[in-house]
Amino acid sequence: MMIPVRCFTCGNVVGEHWEEFKARSAEGEDPAEVLDDLGVDRHCCRRMLVSHKDLVDVVSPYQ
Amino acid sequence: MASDFEVEFIERDDRNARFVVRGLTPAFANGIRRAMIADVPTMSIDTVRFVENSSVMFDEMIGLRLGLVPLTTPLDDYETGETATLALDVEGPATAYSGDLRSSDDLVQPADENIPIIELKEGQRLELEADAVLDRGREHAKHQGGVAVGYRHLQRVDVVGDAGEFDEQESNILRGVIETEDDELVLTDEFDNDLTERYPGKEVEVHDVPGAFVFHVETDGSVTAEELVLRAADSIGDRAAELEEKVAV
Amino acid sequence: MSYKCSRCKRDVELDEYGGVRCPYCGHRVLLKERAPTIKEVDVR
Repeated sequence: MMIPVRCFTCGNVVGEHWEEFKARSAEGEDPAEVLDDLGVDRHCCRRMLVSHKDLVDVVSPYQ
Repeated sequence: MASDFEVEFIERDDRNARFVVRGLTPAFANGIRRAMIADVPTMSIDTVRFVENSSVMFDEMIGLRLGLVPLTTPLDDYETGETATLALDVEGPATAYSGDLRSSDDLVQPADENIPIIELKEGQRLELEADAVLDRGREHAKHQGGVAVGYRHLQRVDVVGDAGEFDEQESNILRGVIETEDDELVLTDEFDNDLTERYPGKEVEVHDVPGAFVFHVETDGSVTAEELVLRAADSIGDRAAELEEKVAV
Repeated sequence: MSYKCSRCKRDVELDEYGGVRCPYCGHRVLLKERAPTIKEVDVR
């Protein structure tokens, strides 16, 4: 639904990078390079951002 | 123990540190690692009072997210179990961020301001009051100050000769920090973690240096990496003193 | 206990004999309102 605040595996805060990651990869930048640039370098944290999907828009009509 | 430890920093900034300690036993190195994870207390939201929540998430889900937000921790001003109060009031359409949390104490603030808590649509509102409490990582993982804290043996790389002229050089991957023949400490990132990049055409031997450990410390922002290490060492000292006192009676 | 009709959005008192039905528009889907008290949640 919302991006997890922390990485499930190591506990690093990943939530704060989500909006920049989303905006920059939507503009066509290579997601791997965006993650390197944001300093998310462990693969456990990278999968948190790469595999995430925002679902608030999907559930909000069913209040 | 009379001998001193020799500490040398390789990387150091607010949230990250990498340093070599010499003169440690493996047991003591692990003791420091465990103290950094479980014994250094940090502030974290523990109780949330919801005044209004018309968002798409349940109160408990939002509470859980708030608990994981790292808060800056003035360790000199708080004792374990003491609380600070934070409040959040956001009305949609907007996204509630960790930076929207207002604190009763200027020293207890969200360490990261851009963590999305919940996206609010038109007419939705989130209003809450939260108590942050100082506690240790062994009580709950959200109180851990250290993230991905670990250590490796320091490895010494000696050049023993030339590789055969027509030998296919296989990559020799090493991670962490190496000590060269000139007693220089080099981060393996500098040569892409591959010894054949640094010593092309040479045959090398790699040994562990006894009693030398390379610590890598990363924090979530609640305390600085330096303070985390110092507090961990203090907590071991305090417990040793406590043990000595109790055994002496 | 107060409910809200999901079609006409009016407050509805549930009455024992009338069954689950909005007395204003006859709609059978009622939503339970959130209690107005402050809810305390332990984050553990």
